[in-house]
Amino acid sequence: MIAYHLRKYLIALLCMCMLFSGVSAQEKNTSLQDALKKVTQAFGIQFVYDPELLAGKSTDYDFSNVSKKSAEEVLKAVLYPHNIVFLYVKPKYYTIVSKDRIENETKQPTHQSASQVPEQTATQAGKNISGTITDSTGKAVAMVNVTEKGTRNTVMSAQDGSFTIKTNAPNPVLVVSSVGYVSRELPVANEDNINIILSAEVSNLNEVVVIGYGIQKKADVTSSVATIKSENFVKGTVLDAGQLLQGKVAGLSVSAPSGDPTSGSQILLRGSTTILGANANPLILIDGIPGDLKTVAPEDIESMDVLKDGSAAAIYGTRGTNGVIIVTTRRASGNFTNAVEYSGYVSTQTIARKMDMLTAADYRKQIADGTRDASWDLGSSTDWLKEISQTPISHVHNLTFRGGNSRTNYLANVNYRMLEGIFKKSDNNTFTGRVDINHSMFNDKLKFNFGVISSQNKYTTTGDGASFNGYTYRQALIRNPTSPVYDSTGKWYEQTGLFNYENPLSRLYESDGQNTSQNTRYNTNISLTPIRGLKLNALLSYTKFNQTRGYSETKQHISTLRDGKNGYASVGGIESVDRLMELTAQYNKTIDAHKFSVLAGYSYQENEYRENWMQNWDFPTDLFGYNNIGIGKALKEGLAPTYSYKGVTNLIGFFGRLTYSYKDRYLLLGSLRYEAASQLYGTKKPWGLFPAASVGWRITNEPFMQGQRIFDDLKLRAGYGVTGTQPNSLFLGVALLNYGGYFLSNGQWIQTLTPSQNPNPNLRWEEKHESNIGIDFSMFKGRISGSVDYYVRNINGLLYDYQVPSPPNLYTSTRANVGKMQNKGIEVIVNYTPVQTRTFSWTTSVNFSTNSNKLASLSNDLYKLNTNYFTTGGTGEPIQTFTHIVEIGKNIGDFYGFKVTDVTDDGKWIYEGKDGKPVQYNDFNHAFEDKKVLGNGLPKYYAGWNNNFSYKNWDMAITMRGAFKYQILNFQRMYYENTNLQQYNRLKSAYDKVFGKAVLSKEMPLEFNSYYVENGDFWKVDNVTIGYNFRKTGVKFIKSARLYVSTLNTFTITGYKGIDPEVNRLGLNPGDDDRDKYPTTRTYTFGVNLNF
Amino acid sequence: MLMLCMFSCTKLKDKSYNQIIASQFNPTGDDLTSLVGAAYINWRALLLQWNSVSRAQESSADELVTPARPNGWVDGGIYRRMHEHKWTADDDVIGNSWTRTFAGITNCNRIIYQLESGSIPLTSGKENVVAEMKVLRASYYYVLCDLFGNVPIVTDFNVPDGFLPEQNTRKEVYDFVVKEISDNISLLSEKNDQSTYGRFNQWAAHTLLAKMYLNAEVFSGTAAWDKCIEECDKVITSGAGYVLENNQKDVFKTDNENSKEIIFALPLDENYVTDWNAFDIHMQTLEPENQATYNLKSTPWGGICATPQFINSYDKEDARYTDNWIMGQQYTAGGDALMGTMGAYTGKPLVYVNEVPGVDQSEEVHGYRLGKFEIKMGANVQLSNDWPLFRYADILMMKAESLLRTGKAEEAAAIVTAVRQRDFKANPSKATVTSAALMKGSSYDYGLRNHLNTTTEGGADIVYGRFLDELGWEFAQEVRRRQDMIRFNAFTKKSWLSHTPNGDYRKLYPIPRIELDKNANLHQNDGYN
Repeated sequence: MIAYHLRKYLIALLCMCMLFSGVSAQEKNTSLQDALKKVTQAFGIQFVYDPELLAGKSTDYDFSNVSKKSAEEVLKAVLYPHNIVFLYVKPKYYTIVSKDRIENETKQPTHQSASQVPEQTATQAGKNISGTITDSTGKAVAMVNVTEKGTRNTVMSAQDGSFTIKTNAPNPVLVVSSVGYVSRELPVANEDNINIILSAEVSNLNEVVVIGYGIQKKADVTSSVATIKSENFVKGTVLDAGQLLQGKVAGLSVSAPSGDPTSGSQILLRGSTTILGANANPLILIDGIPGDLKTVAPEDIESMDVLKDGSAAAIYGTRGTNGVIIVTTRRASGNFTNAVEYSGYVSTQTIARKMDMLTAADYRKQIADGTRDASWDLGSSTDWLKEISQTPISHVHNLTFRGGNSRTNYLANVNYRMLEGIFKKSDNNTFTGRVDINHSMFNDKLKFNFGVISSQNKYTTTGDGASFNGYTYRQALIRNPTSPVYDSTGKWYEQTGLFNYENPLSRLYESDGQNTSQNTRYNTNISLTPIRGLKLNALLSYTKFNQTRGYSETKQHISTLRDGKNGYASVGGIESVDRLMELTAQYNKTIDAHKFSVLAGYSYQENEYRENWMQNWDFPTDLFGYNNIGIGKALKEGLAPTYSYKGVTNLIGFFGRLTYSYKDRYLLLGSLRYEAASQLYGTKKPWGLFPAASVGWRITNEPFMQGQRIFDDLKLRAGYGVTGTQPNSLFLGVALLNYGGYFLSNGQWIQTLTPSQNPNPNLRWEEKHESNIGIDFSMFKGRISGSVDYYVRNINGLLYDYQVPSPPNLYTSTRANVGKMQNKGIEVIVNYTPVQTRTFSWTTSVNFSTNSNKLASLSNDLYKLNTNYFTTGGTGEPIQTFTHIVEIGKNIGDFYGFKVTDVTDDGKWIYEGKDGKPVQYNDFNHAFEDKKVLGNGLPKYYAGWNNNFSYKNWDMAITMRGAFKYQILNFQRMYYENTNLQQYNRLKSAYDKVFGKAVLSKEMPLEFNSYYVENGDFWKVDNVTIGYNFRKTGVKFIKSARLYVSTLNTFTITGYKGIDPEVNRLGLNPGDDDRDKYPTTRTYTFGVNLNF
Repeated sequence: MLMLCMFSCTKLKDKSYNQIIASQFNPTGDDLTSLVGAAYINWRALLLQWNSVSRAQESSADELVTPARPNGWVDGGIYRRMHEHKWTADDDVIGNSWTRTFAGITNCNRIIYQLESGSIPLTSGKENVVAEMKVLRASYYYVLCDLFGNVPIVTDFNVPDGFLPEQNTRKEVYDFVVKEISDNISLLSEKNDQSTYGRFNQWAAHTLLAKMYLNAEVFSGTAAWDKCIEECDKVITSGAGYVLENNQKDVFKTDNENSKEIIFALPLDENYVTDWNAFDIHMQTLEPENQATYNLKSTPWGGICATPQFINSYDKEDARYTDNWIMGQQYTAGGDALMGTMGAYTGKPLVYVNEVPGVDQSEEVHGYRLGKFEIKMGANVQLSNDWPLFRYADILMMKAESLLRTGKAEEAAAIVTAVRQRDFKANPSKATVTSAALMKGSSYDYGLRNHLNTTTEGGADIVYGRFLDELGWEFAQEVRRRQDMIRFNAFTKKSWLSHTPNGDYRKLYPIPRIELDKNANLHQNDGYN
């Protein structure tokens, strides 16, 4: 009843005005109303109050130095003398009420809201309880309401998380609540000092969700949007922002398929959406500006929002098909008094799993047994994998400064990441600095935001333009283990006659290379609020990426010993400039129970890309590496290639959005984008129209739901949206000519001019039409929450390099919109807090998703296939065949090869023939018709299970995930279990009996068949973090501290025999576990967070 | 800001910085050679690049074999399938031979269209360039007629969207090629100098026509031996300066562009024709250790060698035996004996022996290596020797074969003897071939000859087999053995090394599966379904 009355009262108050004002602050005697306006001005806090309460009251408070004080301090000084208190509603919102009013409602004398009230009003029955409030990472949480249960006795935590409350009841229970955190109830028996840890709420209705070109309250969102806050990120040495989300979002498959420190995470949202494999990545926006997952340091990110369905992403038109990930960096705001935070960690890694190759002892045993010619014993014993490996030490340091006041505030961040990989000469160093400055003028009517991000990156290369060259890893695996590292003269031991066979150490140490790059982004945002409800916004940004690279190989490198280069060097550079202008106007209006917002905007984006490189060889000396490339002879002799390129593209869009809600029950969102890209210049329809609509029904806001106590919120949503995929090639629609091979004409070699592309003026946007229905729920005061989504994505007009006869066509393939693909799936996420006591809490989150991905068609009016399939993927040499088939009506990702069912006693394959009957090796045709579907590389089910525990000062997080029902083509086994080629080392398992019957015959050539296709199902305990929080550090200037240890890729339960069952899932050949892949790693991290 | 936008806010970027947008390109007469040249260079790609016509003509025949080696050369079994006549419509040898040849046809069609429609403005000599392009196009159809037979004849460039060509019969393709050459030959240049080197002049066109007539019985069902003689005679009596080199080897040396024996060449140059595998026969045949023999820039890959039975058919005093094959102990450039580095012959002398255990296995030493084209000291991966596609000896031998087959064995023997004289300088009497000898069968000891099986078939039953042998000795490694064997009806009848006949239909290659998929009008060649 009390709550009900209070709500009525507050609703009445809400009808009163909100204050925006700008009176100068010099007068001595100020009315309370004006005083509140000054507080608003200084701290950005808004108030709801009954003007009658303040009428006629004034204060002599001196506002001249107000910016140096805290808002609470000022409010206390101004209001308490009048027996008026302030109640926290949400960040930056307070209600002003009479103290009596509250005391009357609670029918008992209490201490009042917002900090301590004067001593004399306290009763003698209670006691003082004080403590600190932190989040699960040990960070102090300010402005948390601490209420004695059953009363209105409420205090708020201070900036450092501390609070003191005077309780009345003999065995009081404290209710601790704050926006964004799970509320807790703590019985306080005899303690007078307690520490409280709040865990971040995964789903909170008041939480603000970032949608395209704006924000929306989560309660109002009508499409499938997932928000992950920094508290819930994966902890430890992550490669980029994507890995922070690993296993956290249903339907978003994030994997880190490579252990290379320069690599990144791979993101697949709701399945594959493209045939050509171009632009399979989601659109990544960093504070509204396109970038990538490495634009900002992972530690500098506040939250990430994933726009999953088409109705959410359609506002981004041609770039929205693969979803949109909106990264919000930690921002400056007036809420922080000058504060400094440091976080840092060190980590080391091991290979996730070692391929078990034959050792020198194994070789010698084989020679003794007569199964290997004695000439293969070269006299040494070398563990080649160990030779190229190192124990990496990586460290990351992140320092953030925040300060300013409500008018002008800033954030500065520096981040230094020094990563080492498990292989020698494998590293990645990045230094990122970021500054974010806000300034507001004219009573907040005009706001400026200015930001700079600048990152410097540097890594060692052992391949031309590559980072660590995976071929070196292959060489370490296949190298004869009896081979010495050096020959008798101290030079690298090489056998140049063996094909594709090189000393891996020589490859590492006789090469030298470095890639350095700089990415700098300047952005400014100007917003003007000329009248209430109308906001005009201009976002401008300029991003410049520069990369310089150099690479050289000495005269001791195989490139000279075998390929006669006599020293090799290459240099190159890339410059990419992006310019962006986005103009938006937004108007919000509420008329009675109708809430509207309208957004209109224009976006212009332009990219200018330039690249150049040159190679040279035949150097007089190794002394200069790649730094004096002109002295090589190959360029002079016309043998060495040089290259330069420039391409300019632009993307132009107009967009609009309307949201409407009635009584907070019925929600509607509609958006439209009209967009063109220069890649489609010359086609009939370069402009595309991308509409979307979604509706929501908040059932809990219906009158008939008011009595129930189960659901806090229950919302049904449905949406439909059209998005596109931006092609990455230029001038797709027109015929192109290019200078090609040389022709001898009258004794002169002249360059020929040849067509390089068939024109297709009918080319248009790929369009994804996505329907999504979902339900969001929150139950038992947020203790259980979650959502369920079902989606169907129909992608039309997929671009495909359609094979056409030539002649009449210039070229054997034409890029045309011929494909139709369908993705369907269900996503479920449930968050639950099973245990919540004063000292122990456990929150858990389970997500599950399914996806099926079918090719529906591969033809249009002009292009018809004779057959209903095409093949894709490749085994690489020397097997040289495709790995996958894409067949109309079938799932994407089907492996297609020979199916073996048995082996003969002498180890020869027995195949399943066309008619299903067994066929002996020699009778088998090995033709296309003999191939069969051998499995599918795309998981049918994904699951994730995330847990957070906290006990007193300890906390622990465990992230687990799995993928099920899919297969992997194990390239390692396919290449290294064959006994046919003598010159390469092989896996010990090559001598295991195939099907338990016989070791594979030496006569069997390398071959792609079903024996190497394995089930990939796995359950991975990925991230485990254990932390300890120091509330009182004992050091005066350190407010709080946290220490933690963490592991990544901790262990995996799987039957897969390769290194890691999380292999490439992008494109049309998912599940190919490439033999040269930089192995994935297990990471151990020790970290510290300090707040000053 | 909105004002700013109004002017430029909807204009798409339309400038290309590294390719020419065809609609923005207005060629002038100066661009003509660049445009015409584009149609010629398909020849070298189709003939010499990896797994293309050179494999289709040689690895399926009885002169060369690519056995599995200690360092590889299994490559999915493609060379073995070629050797055993078990290729499929998916094999890259088949697909590449088709697409690389048709690419030349497409280029010809385009240029003819551009010239005729005036989009390449040419004030004078337009008819001549068009005629040259038509003959060049005919030369590509000659390849297709030989390999695939029933291919679509496409001469139009400006066709409606979605147009799919109709298939033609081998006879139609034959007739087309003959007609195109005959109709246009008079518009071609009569010159034989630098300006026509590597291009179709009248004499190259006559040679091509002679080749069509030589194979007329195979291609069209009706022999045309007299017409072949007629065309050969036109070249012989042309006065354009074609003669036999004193040494056959000189036709194949690095700087062979001045050879008077070459009628039509594919010019190659290590600096200008640098596509990977542009012309790398030395890399494909020599063992890695041979890098030291020629101070090669790159280590060779080993692989292709002679079929021992073919080598055995040579007269060992024939200069072509010693000049065209690399045999025996191998040395460094400095004269040191080379040792094996792989497999069972590691550390043992690298001596090329005329033995190959089979297509399925071999060691480094097995098989004589291909040495017809000079391997320059310090050669790159790409050789600079021009490829003599048509040469004067071929004119003479085509005439001789036609004479032989039309009952004029005496005249034929005289020509063959004339061609052989440069090969037996030490013992000139051996150069002489009698008419009686030419009427004999082949001396090739056909039959399976591998580590698993040995059979004896011999070649005595091959009609004019002696002449086939002569063609083998003269034109070994010149990418034509399959064509010759088919004309003498040996290709699908005889066994050699690991090969046994696998059906007469294998005289034609299957139409690549991917082409059948693209064009519903195409039907697979008989026997492949």
